Amino acid sequence: MTSTTLEVGRPRESPFARIWALVKHHVLTVYALLAFVYLMLPIAIVIAFSFNNPVGRFNYTWSSFTLNNWKNWDGVPGLRSAMVLSLEIALLASIVATLLGTLIALALVRYGFRGRAATNFLIFLPLSTPEIVLGASLLTLFLNLSIVFGFWTIIIAHVMFCISFAVVTVKARLIGFDRHLEEAAMDLGANEWVTFRKVTLPLIAPAILAALLLCFAISIDDFVVTYFVAGSRTTFPLFVWGAARVGAPPQVNVIATFIFAVAVIGMVLNVLVQMRRERAAATA
Amino acid sequence: MGFLHRHRNLTPYSLLAPGLLYLGLFFVVPLGFLAYQSLESGNFDVGYAFTWAWGNYWDAIRNYRGHFIRSLEYAGIATVLALLFGYPLAYWIAFRGGRWKNLLLLFIVAPFFVTYLIRTLAWESILADHGPVVSVLRDVGILGNDGRLLATSTAVVAGITYNFFPFMALPLYVSLEQIDQRLIEAAQDLYASKWKAFLRITLPLSLPGVVAGTLLTFIPAAGDFINAQLLGSPKNHMIGNVIQSKFLELTDYPAAASMSFVLMATILVMVALYARAVGTEKLTG
Amino acid sequence: MTDGLTRLQLLRRATAGGAFLTVPGVLAACGGTSKKAASTTANKTLAKTLRFSNWTLYIDIDEKTKRHPTLDAFKKKTGTTVQYTEDINDNATYFGKIQGPLSRGQSIDRDIIVMTDNSRYPSLLIKKGWVEKLDKSAIPNIKNLEPTLQHPNWDPNRDYSLPWQSGLTGIAYNDKLTDPVLTVPDLLENPKLKGKITLLQGVGDTMPLIMAANGDDPTKVTDASWNRAFKVVKKAVDSGQIRQFTGNDYSGPLAKGDLNACFAWSGDVVQLEADNKHLHWNLPKDGGGIWTDNMLIPKGGNVYTASVYMNYYYEPKVAAAVEDYVNYICPVVGAKEVLLKEDPSIAKNTLIFPTKAMLANAHNFDAAALNNEKYITAWQNLISG
Repeated sequence: MTSTTLEVGRPRESPFARIWALVKHHVLTVYALLAFVYLMLPIAIVIAFSFNNPVGRFNYTWSSFTLNNWKNWDGVPGLRSAMVLSLEIALLASIVATLLGTLIALALVRYGFRGRAATNFLIFLPLSTPEIVLGASLLTLFLNLSIVFGFWTIIIAHVMFCISFAVVTVKARLIGFDRHLEEAAMDLGANEWVTFRKVTLPLIAPAILAALLLCFAISIDDFVVTYFVAGSRTTFPLFVWGAARVGAPPQVNVIATFIFAVAVIGMVLNVLVQMRRERAAATA
Repeated sequence: MGFLHRHRNLTPYSLLAPGLLYLGLFFVVPLGFLAYQSLESGNFDVGYAFTWAWGNYWDAIRNYRGHFIRSLEYAGIATVLALLFGYPLAYWIAFRGGRWKNLLLLFIVAPFFVTYLIRTLAWESILADHGPVVSVLRDVGILGNDGRLLATSTAVVAGITYNFFPFMALPLYVSLEQIDQRLIEAAQDLYASKWKAFLRITLPLSLPGVVAGTLLTFIPAAGDFINAQLLGSPKNHMIGNVIQSKFLELTDYPAAASMSFVLMATILVMVALYARAVGTEKLTG
Repeated sequence: MTDGLTRLQLLRRATAGGAFLTVPGVLAACGGTSKKAASTTANKTLAKTLRFSNWTLYIDIDEKTKRHPTLDAFKKKTGTTVQYTEDINDNATYFGKIQGPLSRGQSIDRDIIVMTDNSRYPSLLIKKGWVEKLDKSAIPNIKNLEPTLQHPNWDPNRDYSLPWQSGLTGIAYNDKLTDPVLTVPDLLENPKLKGKITLLQGVGDTMPLIMAANGDDPTKVTDASWNRAFKVVKKAVDSGQIRQFTGNDYSGPLAKGDLNACFAWSGDVVQLEADNKHLHWNLPKDGGGIWTDNMLIPKGGNVYTASVYMNYYYEPKVAAAVEDYVNYICPVVGAKEVLLKEDPSIAKNTLIFPTKAMLANAHNFDAAALNNEKYITAWQNLISG
């Protein structure tokens, strides 16, 4: 009995087609890797030079390897407190800015109201204002209000220019948000607050996180506006700019690397904990 | 608008109030003071007086028109580059990032942890005349024998692109991440190629992110000064540099203020045109 | 931001510490003793705290204890704590910040600030009346001030300022990439250096060297001498000879070989040389520049305490201790001798203790020119395209 089996299945692929499929599948990953290399290249140099032992004060040319900078990471007075201040400010400012910004974004996307166009306009204005005049005008405001310069004036300034970034970022998520999910929840008896907490918030969480991250980055890096309103406090960027005149010590690299490493480790741990939980839930 | 809050007319206002009041006090008021300054005349020695000096604006446009145009050019090119580079990356993180998404986002903003000055100095090392990048470009022929990257418009645009990259990538990610993958699968089930599915489904759904990212990149980049100062030659300076020097070196506060307003007005006009061109509130909210 | 002071503002200033304006104060100053016990007037008492704003990393540091030994010794000697803040990193930006309060007659809560005289700001501060006169009766050590620094054109009798550190502006070059570059014309016209040189963006840094090379006197600028110098620089900008105008960010490119030569400050090259033996620095034969970071007492600061501190700094031993760390040019005569015993390598380095000949060949820039709006607007337009 001859069997005439129908050959259902893939036609024989040439090796080229297979390789091409492989390439197509991974080209995006390769690209992403290259993009990350591009982003991290300066960081790599910063990390590398944290191990440099320059003879003079400038840390530009590689001299010799040393662990002393790491051992003596706190040897430059004012550096650690500058970094700590920057972190505190960035954390607080990004949280407040994201909070205020999310509320505004919700209002803008979901409601029609008088002054919508004007509000949009107002949100874009801070982004387009050059920092030097923004800082100076804010300084004048604080002088007129007799506010003492220091931690809180820096926070006020940072929240102010971060709000716009938070609004625009969260808005990108809210546009195109599927309202039916919320409607379904309400249909099932949830009130508005519960719906918001259990349906809306988790769904826009990635946007809120992205906004937080963006505001944090902007705040920790800000120089010009901070300079005007900082009074006698020194943030990390202010310290580095001042130190660069006579040669920023390698400890600057050490501290920046350290903060970055801590953030990375924190995120990795977060993922591992998540994975552990999922595994536990799956086997439970 | 949803039926959810049909009865609560005050809800939008109560949502807006905290943020807008905050901006009102800490941005609009200082801006008002700046506007007042822009209409003053005089100089630092004898002091300034408010004289409705609209001439300041006219002078700003007349004397520094080239700088304004150059700033918009550089910011525009940098925005396009950031979009081209950032979109595939945001796409990859959103669709292939899995549980590592947040960590990958952290890597995008990582450069901001080392201050601006340090990462620019690092780029100066990388793009140095005797460094690896320039050597390769010279060998390949893209750069002449004496060509350089630093102190050129290329370096300035590259610097702006790099430094504003997260402002493009994060909004793109935010918009891409919420696209339901099943829509794409459905398209493919209906015999669309991967590429077509992207063009017809993913791209349109990610447009709010594209709009957000381009705005968050272009607007601040137009007023930037620091990339031009450290990476550019005098021919590459932007309007931000001029405003900076008017304010600090020349203590000509009316000029700095009026130039700032011209810049802001120009940017906002462009944004309005852009929003109109891109279309409806669906994309800009 | 008008200049007129209301009576209220005058009163506010007086109570903030300008008490020397009172009659007893003036009498005490004339009397000239600094015996604390004898004086009964407010202006001769040391304040508990001295608020000192300075540039970053510009004072001696003990890396192990992270303290500033000379400041601690000052407290031991006088009982006054020095509240030391490193919040000055650029003259223009710092002035932009303090002009806000000062123009309103408010104090900036500092007793000593430090600003550089290659910028217009020290002379501007004096012109606006925003700095106090020193209490010279409390500064006998002022006799130790380096002779060439005693009569700058913006403060001829040193009534308002005293140098903290100085620096020289000259030409640095990399001998691996170019033959020695020793004169300004060579720097600006040698075709082999095209696109490989930078000048300094401060008009008070660059112009003295250009003018000296033209044979003009930088300390007395005229329209004619300005135009001559300006033409020289403009030609070099337009031809692409000059790559950039920099602040001190020339140090990176110079160290890495992106620049063959540039205008540079002596203090920077001291540090760069240590890691790169190919870098050299010279004052141009026709004349170089000298700048000084000066201690000034802002309006509202405590004049007596600030003056006592300045007197302390001008003790050769103290200045030597600071100099050993900072390595710019010490304005205090006698510090070199102290260091010859303690750290000879520093004392013998002519970039840190220049010879009399070097100092004689280095010039300040005319403060009137620094404040001349026509000149500085033209300069800013030139360096900003």
